Formats: sequence, C-alpha cells, structure tokens
Amino acid sequence: MGAEQAWLLAAVPAGFFLVLALFGRQLPRGGDYLGVLSIVSAFVLFIVVLVDFLDTPGKLGPVVNSMEWSNVGEFKLRMGTFIDPITITMFGVITIVSVMVNVFSVGYMKGEPRYFWFFAVLQLFVASMLLLVMADNLLLVYIAWELVGVCSFLLIGFYWEKRSATEAAKKAFITTRLGDVGLLIGIILFWRATGTFNIQEIIHAAEQGQIGDTYLFVSIMFVFLGCMGKSAQVPFHVWLPDAMEGPTPVSALIHAATMVVAGVYLTARLLPIFEVADGALLVVTLVGLTTALLTGFMALAQTDIKKVLAYSTVGQLGFMFVALGTGHPAIAIFHLTTHAFFKALLFLGSGSVIHATHHNQEMDKLGGLWRKMPITGTTFFIGSLALAGLPPLAGFWSKDEIFVALNDKWGAWAVLILGFAAVMTAFYTTRLFIRTFMGKPMDEQVHEHTHESGFVMTGPLMFLALLAAVSGLVVFHQVGKGLGFPGGITEFIFLPGEHPHRYHIDWGFAAASLAMATVGIWGAAWMYWGNSLKRSTALAEWNPGVYRMLKSKFYFDELYQAVIDRGVLGFSYLVSWFDRYVVNDTGVDGSAQVTGFTGGVLKYLQTGRVPNYAMAIALGVIGLTVAGLVVRG
Amino acid sequence: MVPLENYLVLSAIIFSLGVYGVLARRNAVLILMSVELMLNAVSLNFIAFAAYLDPDKITGAIFAVFVITVAAAEVGLALAIVIRLFRNRATSNVDEAAIMKW
Repeated sequence: MGAEQAWLLAAVPAGFFLVLALFGRQLPRGGDYLGVLSIVSAFVLFIVVLVDFLDTPGKLGPVVNSMEWSNVGEFKLRMGTFIDPITITMFGVITIVSVMVNVFSVGYMKGEPRYFWFFAVLQLFVASMLLLVMADNLLLVYIAWELVGVCSFLLIGFYWEKRSATEAAKKAFITTRLGDVGLLIGIILFWRATGTFNIQEIIHAAEQGQIGDTYLFVSIMFVFLGCMGKSAQVPFHVWLPDAMEGPTPVSALIHAATMVVAGVYLTARLLPIFEVADGALLVVTLVGLTTALLTGFMALAQTDIKKVLAYSTVGQLGFMFVALGTGHPAIAIFHLTTHAFFKALLFLGSGSVIHATHHNQEMDKLGGLWRKMPITGTTFFIGSLALAGLPPLAGFWSKDEIFVALNDKWGAWAVLILGFAAVMTAFYTTRLFIRTFMGKPMDEQVHEHTHESGFVMTGPLMFLALLAAVSGLVVFHQVGKGLGFPGGITEFIFLPGEHPHRYHIDWGFAAASLAMATVGIWGAAWMYWGNSLKRSTALAEWNPGVYRMLKSKFYFDELYQAVIDRGVLGFSYLVSWFDRYVVNDTGVDGSAQVTGFTGGVLKYLQTGRVPNYAMAIALGVIGLTVAGLVVRG
Repeated sequence: MVPLENYLVLSAIIFSLGVYGVLARRNAVLILMSVELMLNAVSLNFIAFAAYLDPDKITGAIFAVFVITVAAAEVGLALAIVIRLFRNRATSNVDEAAIMKW
C-alpha cells in the first residue's frame, strides 16, 4: 500500500455511500457512525499515502498510476491517479475538515429528517472531491467536478420542504453549470489540439508551443470559466450566499473549505498553461481582485451571520486567485489550506450558535453570547482573528505571502486594491464577532434559552481552532522540516521548473499587513463596541444610497433577474410563438386538417353500392390491361 | 383437333358474360352466378393451355381443381351473406344494401 493505491481514498467513502444510501434507513442512528468511520478511514489512508510519498527516495516526483480505460480505433483513453504535493495537501485539507464536519454533524443534525441521507451524501461528496484532486486527466476531473456539483445541489436542497432551499439549490446548480459548460468546451478544445486528456501531456504540449497562441488563450479561458463558476468568482458569485440555505456543516465543508476551492485547485494544476498563454495570469489576477473587493463591500451590510461568512469565503477565494495570478501555486494552496481550517471553524461555530439559539442566524437577534457559550465564543474569536489576519494565526502568514508575491509580479496598484479588501475583511469579521458574541443581547428571549453545545460539537471546534492558530506556522522552513516536509510547505509545492523559494519574513510587508488588520479591527470595534448600532445607523443614514447598494449586494441579483426577465423570457416568448403557430398549428394541426379535408371530399366515392364497386374493379382491370399493352408497345 | 384459339375465344366470351352479369344484375344470387361464370372461364383457360402447351403434365388440371374448390367455398360464404341480407331486409337486391358508406 502506497501512493499508487491512492484511489482507495475515493473508493472507501464511495462504498460507504452505497451502504448508507441503501441501508441507512434501517441502521440504528441512521448509520452516522458509519459516516464517521468512512471519513476516518479515508484520513488514515491519507496518512499512509503521505508517509509513503515522503519516504519515496528521489525528489518528490509525482506518483502516477493509470490504466487503459478504453481503446477505440486511433483513440486511447487512460485514466488514473496523479499524486503530487498539491494533491497530497488537498487530501489533507479535505479529509481533516471532513472528519471534523462529520463529527460535528452527529450533534448538529440530531433529530433532523432524512438523517441517514445527509451522511450518505456527505460520503459521496468526499469521495468525489478526493477523486477530483487525484485525477490525472481532464475527463476524470470533469466527472468528479459534476459529481461534487450534484452533491452540493442535494445538500443545499436538503430541507426541500422549504421553497427557498430548493430555489437556492437550483440557483447554485444552474449558475455553476454556466461555468461548467465553459470547462467542457475548454477540455474539448485542448483535446482537439493535443489528442489527449492527460493533464501533464497537455501542459507539456502547451509549453513546447504545440498549440497556437490565440487557441491556447481561448481554451484556457474556457477552462477558467469553469473554475470561476465553481469558486464563485464575480460575476458567478451569486449562488454561494444563497447556498447557505443548506445545513451549516455542509456550508462549512462544501461551501467554504473544499468544493468551492475546486476552481482554485484546477487553476493551480493548470497554472503552467496559464503562464504560457499570454495575458491569462492577468485575467486571473483581475478576477480575483474584483471579487475580493466587491464581496468585501457586500459583506459589510449583511446581517445574517452565515451570509457574512459566505461573502467572506468568496472574497478569500478571490485572494487565492490573486495568488495564482502571481504564478505561485504554493501560495494559493497555502492560503487554501489555512482558509479551509479557519473558515470551517467559523462556519461550524456559527452552526453551534444557530443550534443553540434554535435556528436564529440574524445578528439583530443575537449578541452577548460569549458568556453563554464560552467554548464556541473563544474558538470563534480565534477563527475571526485568523480571518482578519492577525499574527501569529494562520491567516496572517498566507495573506502576507500573497501580498509579497503580488507586489513582485504586478506592483503597487494591485497591492493597494487587495490591501483595501483585507481591511474590509478585518472590519466585517470583527463586526460579525462583536454583534454575535459581545455587548448586550438584542433579543432577551433568544438569549435566555441559549446554552453551550455538547462536546460532539465543541470538540471539532477546538481542534479546528488549534489548526487555525498554528497551521500557518508550517510556512517556516524549520517547522515544515520538523513535520517531515522537506523545506516547509512553500518548498513542498512548486511548479516544475520553478525554483522553490524559502520563506523569509519581509518586515515591511508584515508590518503593513498587521496595520491593515488592525485598522479593520479597530474600525469595527469603534463602530460596534458593546453591540451598539448608534454609529453604524448614523453612517447608513448619512448616505442611504450607498447603504442600500451594499445591502442589495450591488444589485447583481436584480441584474440577473432583469436579464432573465427581458432576455431569456423574451426569447422564450419567441420560441413559444414559433412552437404554437408554426410547429403546432401549421405542422401538427395543419397535416391533420389536410388529411381531414381530403378524406371529407373522397368519402363520397364510398357509395356503399356493390355495383359501383364492381364497375370500378372492372374498369380498373381494363385500364390496367390497356396501360400494360401500351407500355409494352 | 380443335385449335387453341377456339378455346380462348370461348373462354373470353364466357368471361365477358360473367362481367356483364356482375355489372348489370341487381339480384345478389344472379351476381354470384355471374362470378361463377368468370371463374369457369378461367378454369377453361387453364385446362386449354395445359393441354396444348405441356400435354405431359397435369399442372393446369390441378389449378382448375383448386379454382373449383375456391369457387365452392366462396359460394358457401357468399350465400350465407345473402341469406343474412334477406333475413334483415327482406330483399336480395344489392342496390338496397347500401348502408356501408359515409
């Protein structure tokens, strides 16, 4: 058993999915222990693969294991696994967060209807996500890509009795599908140019210049469209906040830590192609910057705690794309890892709050919960500071890395934009924490009945808080080495051909980064201290237009609605007109009418008189005979 | 020996008489009889051709026997229909049995 058998990681949860989906209803407790067992075994397998990978002599080269899948004429398709440091890191993130979320769900989902189904789909999700990151060819990536999309759809719409949940599930599925079509087109374009789906072969072909410049740019942009859809980048970001209709553990696992980073992962995987294609990296950077900035603004005016976290997630995904735009996948993956830990922590923390307050997630009804829920409060505090980017918590190190790389690659203008986004991140995170956990309670009745969640929920919170606090430190050479990675995480993951760079503190940027976080935190603390809305209300009233714009998220949803109303419905009207009057009235009804009319005329030949028929037969015979003679000559 | 043409002419005359009967008569039984005439004309043709063209074989005679069999069966069926018609309408005039129409 080694890195070659990594496919087992996906196969085990998939097997448990089948068991849970088929027999979960009959099992005691809905088989939730099987869910936890499944994820824990995936985690153990991950450790085995990791150890084997690090022990392999040589230079941490990728471990490939593929088999011939189909062989049709000229076309041969091989599918298999491709294990390299990026995959290993993703394995770690997915399995660790999944274990925590599964354990947490045992407490959070207790007594919910379709309890077993929740765990079943969770296993399917983990299996598909692991498959996605280990796939060695784009076709397999696409299959896994759609599978995680389906799981996301099923879990967002888990409470399908609620209309808003089904609407959100539909919206998520259709919005990401828009991007997925692009991804499929991109994959086909690459296949046309190279004749293979294998990622490494495509990268090789692109680097050798076997693909024309424009063709390469267009195809990689199509692929990137898929990444944007899955990772909810502007303008596809609209589905992620709505996806918060799903159960909160799902939001933590799928819509914060793992599935939404699939786009980041795929872009990182294909980054050599982005580097070859002229201008592609700039597009990635611009998309990331736009998203980080816009969602920062949007998060400022949200009052639903999960929505704030959702916008923050989109923003942080923007940060990751900015990191990719600098051509450093290691930094993006590093930020992905730290973000997965602290954002999963924040989501599970909000889940704990929602559970404790009997499904209350509006800030206007919360406040002052720290004393009631000390463990949730403390862990949430750690997560918030990590998100805001205070040293030595995880978020600081990865964000700092992004700023340094961004400055090297694109210069000060990009740093300024992203810096502003970082200030806003710190601001809304602090606002979220203060309005939920500090000051006086806004609704005494809610406050009264709140109690700390049980250990099955606080345990994962504490573990994730630990990770959120220290996981950033692996950036240091010594820490990484101590953990068995040769030279820390930034040297562990790097592009082939790129020289690995060793982390060192850039004091100027570290100070600036710290200053940004502090400004944001102080600003929010000044405005909301003691959970008082006096200052923020004054600010909102000072310029109600701006406030309304933020509150309605820059009118993106309205814009889409208008496009759908005018464009799609207008076109549908045209199509329906064509269907009604051309296809139906002329084509279908028309042929029936012609037949009916002809029959109406010809029926008079049917006299019912035998002599007429006899005469017709006789004349027919004579006619045929004459005709035959004439033709014969 | 009587030449073949004579048989054929006779057969054509009988057949034409049959056709005339079918077209001109209004009584169902008479129409049936006319049909029998036509069938017999055909049988006569079979036998004449068989005797003249291939005298060693009896192919034509076998066909004639088949035609007679079919004719017998047909008459049995048709007379049954005529009887039903007569029972229902008290007539055997085919002009009055004209309800099978639009």
